[in-house]
Amino acid sequence: MSARELFTFRNPYFSAGVGLAAGLFVLTALGGFIVLPYAQKELKFAGLWDAICSAAGVPQRSASVPTAKVGPRLSEAVLTPTMLARPGQESIGRGATLAQRCAICHGPTGISRADSPNLAGQYASVIYKELLDFRSGARSNAVMSPFAVDLKDQDMADLAAYYAYLPRLPAYHPTPQLPRPRIVIYGAPVRGIAPCGSCHGSLDNKTGSPWLEGQSEAYLKAQLQAFASGRRTNDISQQMRNIARAMTPQEIDEAAAYYASQPTEIVKSTD
Amino acid sequence: MTVENGHQGAEVAARTERRWATISVIIIVVLAVLAAFAGIHQVTMPQPRVETIDPTRLHLSGEFVESNLGSVLEPTGSVTVRAIGQQYSFTPACILVPAQTPITLRATSADVVHGILVQGTNVNTMLVPGYVSEQLMRFEKPGDHLMPCQEFCSFGHEGMWGKVKVIDKEEFVAKAKSGGRLSCVGE
Amino acid sequence: MLVNRKLVLAHFWLAFAVFGLALFLGAWQMFVRSPLYTWISDPEWYYRSLTAHGTVMGYVFPTLVAMGFGYAISESALKQPLVGVRWAWAGFWLIVVGAVMAMVPVALGRASVLYTFYPPLIGSVFYYIGVVLVVVGSWIWVALMSVNLRVWRREHPGEPVPLAMFANVAGSYLWAWTAVGAALELLLQIIPVALGWRTTIDAGLARVFFSWTLHAIVYFWLMPTYIAYYTIVPRAIGGRLYSDTMGRIAFILFLVVAMPIGIHHTFADPQVGAGFKFIHSAFTALVALPTLLTVFTICASVEIAARLRGGRGPFGWIGALPWDNPIMLAVAFSFVLLGFGGAGGLINMSYQLDTTIHNTQWITGHFHLIFGGAIVIMYFAIAYDLWPHLTGRALPDLRLVRAQLWLWFVGMIVTTFPWHWVGILGMPRRMAYYDYSDPAISPQAFSVTLSVIGAFVLLISGLLFLYILATAHRQPAADAGAYRFSVPVHPVHTVPLALNSFAIWVALMIGLTVTNYAYPILTLAARSDTSVPAVYVGAQ
Repeated sequence: MSARELFTFRNPYFSAGVGLAAGLFVLTALGGFIVLPYAQKELKFAGLWDAICSAAGVPQRSASVPTAKVGPRLSEAVLTPTMLARPGQESIGRGATLAQRCAICHGPTGISRADSPNLAGQYASVIYKELLDFRSGARSNAVMSPFAVDLKDQDMADLAAYYAYLPRLPAYHPTPQLPRPRIVIYGAPVRGIAPCGSCHGSLDNKTGSPWLEGQSEAYLKAQLQAFASGRRTNDISQQMRNIARAMTPQEIDEAAAYYASQPTEIVKSTD
Repeated sequence: MTVENGHQGAEVAARTERRWATISVIIIVVLAVLAAFAGIHQVTMPQPRVETIDPTRLHLSGEFVESNLGSVLEPTGSVTVRAIGQQYSFTPACILVPAQTPITLRATSADVVHGILVQGTNVNTMLVPGYVSEQLMRFEKPGDHLMPCQEFCSFGHEGMWGKVKVIDKEEFVAKAKSGGRLSCVGE
Repeated sequence: MLVNRKLVLAHFWLAFAVFGLALFLGAWQMFVRSPLYTWISDPEWYYRSLTAHGTVMGYVFPTLVAMGFGYAISESALKQPLVGVRWAWAGFWLIVVGAVMAMVPVALGRASVLYTFYPPLIGSVFYYIGVVLVVVGSWIWVALMSVNLRVWRREHPGEPVPLAMFANVAGSYLWAWTAVGAALELLLQIIPVALGWRTTIDAGLARVFFSWTLHAIVYFWLMPTYIAYYTIVPRAIGGRLYSDTMGRIAFILFLVVAMPIGIHHTFADPQVGAGFKFIHSAFTALVALPTLLTVFTICASVEIAARLRGGRGPFGWIGALPWDNPIMLAVAFSFVLLGFGGAGGLINMSYQLDTTIHNTQWITGHFHLIFGGAIVIMYFAIAYDLWPHLTGRALPDLRLVRAQLWLWFVGMIVTTFPWHWVGILGMPRRMAYYDYSDPAISPQAFSVTLSVIGAFVLLISGLLFLYILATAHRQPAADAGAYRFSVPVHPVHTVPLALNSFAIWVALMIGLTVTNYAYPILTLAARSDTSVPAVYVGAQ
């Protein structure tokens, strides 16, 4: 068999195949790139070339819409799943030094004796983000905010690395382990609540979401109520307010009590 | 296609086949033209442009900052809805729109691939991080619709449901007078 | 002439064994997300099972069937022992290794990303490498089919390639090219990120690459079924093939137009221009053509069989068909399911109709009807038809075989019809559970329950199928004779070179891929600002 015999327009199969394919492509391209864009009256194009480029899908940067910032100051943290991964020993060491200031509330081993959050073994991105938000004012707390004001970005990364490095010790407020309430296991789909663990560590970790096992019940409840009422707004694009708002007061109580009573073993760590 | 075997030759077979092939082509062309015609005149068309955006910085500046999410009445009388999808919720979690009004939905994802599907309508678009989705929509009657995420977005996907609330046009216009972005969150 | 029976049997047995496992997972999934079960307390298990089910049913099972059937066709249609048997075994073992490598991380919950991958979600790198190995193993088969045809041609210059082999090689070339899309996505985008070499990925581009594979892969799954329609059915029911030439044209059309239409999977995506969506929509319409031609040719061939058996009248001949013949039963079921599935496909093809059902349970219903229904039922038929030749023993009991086919047919309808319906009601796919107590969702509960019943019927049918094949090995030896393919009514002595070779059609396939895909891919690949951070699932 010779290619010359096949690939010639004298071969009816070749000419029909190529002709039909090319004809169809040209026809549909004319339709898709010129006829259809102009057939849609609500679309405005600068000209033929603009219409063709739009239909071809030339990417354009989304036009900047001037937006007045209103309401409370919001989080300016930019989180990515791999940020702060694999910190050096040096960073952890610097973090340990800086953390001496934190020990009064958060405990010398990162386990709080009061109702402050336990930080030992917390995801680094969580500690980093909350510090950023305390510094910027997106989150405020009479005790915590003054500590954060003077921290540099590197200090925050070091603190995050140090606390993430600490082993997860048992918390100081153990109650008998409670059974998992419905809201924690299943969430409430139609209300837009996913299982808590899908972000908070027992199933998966969404970057910036802390694990909660063994945290103070009073603290957890206060935060959920603050998110629900809109007093706390540093969750990026309302990711936690959307959830907390949809929870009933009873579900908030149950979730807080459940997490406070849990050991830390079931938490997944991140890279 | 009732060809008596044995009585007719290969030519008859070939002719019958050609006829059937012609009918097949006609069926296909009619269907394609029908779809294109209906799309232009009655239903909906794909978004006209490809727009890109940085999903990690949506909350810092641009049209998807928190204070700009929700529905806004444009001077032309149409409505623009801006929303984002993220693991595992839509913001606003409840979208408020007027009935019998042309609406432009502009939405994007802050992390992974999501989708917006408004039940009981043909509003249905993917949210791909890095790109802005745009879809025209119009609701005829007031009422409530569920708005699930229609693409697997990791382990909380089953809990990612939003809502769309369609209200009377007049009621919406009255609410819009006070300015700001409207939603039915917390109602 | 079937020399390497062990090779073919190994492919079929592995295919059907993993099919049985995946079928079990599928039934379990249907059950746990239905109103018959309380919600699953760890949704990750559902997605884990879904990943395994999709990966096995989409990549491993049909590929092995196509390969095993391909080797059998090569030997019996060309009447020459397979050239490159060692390579064939190497391909087989690559698939075994790949499947195990992919399934271990899935079983451990380290790659619950679903078989469609959809970055920026990223799972364990071993999952992706395993899938790549499966594809590479199948590429060895592609090369062997090409080599065997070449060897045969050298011995038989100018003779028409037997239709079965012609179609088989067309299918292999289609697969070789269509797998390139997912391979590029895996090798250039996903695996570097899964290895940690890179932390960002263009999710939109990945979806375009995947659409390159995702649609034409259906036609690769379909190939053994269509080969069976043309080359097994007429012979098995005592008829003739109406037209050999039409068969060639149908397979050539599949080869050329199955590929440049995949963007209809991204109709609702923001990263593809509307113009290309229109072009792909129009080309998708075209792919109905080979199916319409096939329906005509096969109906005519079946009619010939009926009339040879004394059938009369415009429709009276239907009663004269050998309905107790499992192949007759299978092809009838397959056509009914193909008809419904094809009608659904016409809806998906149109952007406007697709917006109502995109990514709803309609889609899952659709591809289960086409693949699980029309296609897999012919895989059963192929196995039943080949088994006596592979084992040298007759099938144990044709009543069981018929019961199995009936169960599959009924089960598939009971599963997929309600599935389509809840899709129209707006039920999204791929969720671990649904709140059927909500008034807006409760109307779907009944339909979902029905489809669970269908799923269990399918499971029973699948197990019965495995049972029949297994017990066939213990039957007394019986010579089934040479394996033959159907003969056309009008014998073919010469075939135009164009219909006896692939050069033009492969060139057209690649050419149309370039016109329809090059711009959407290159324009995204050229940009760096469309890449977004990878999200590692189940990060541990």
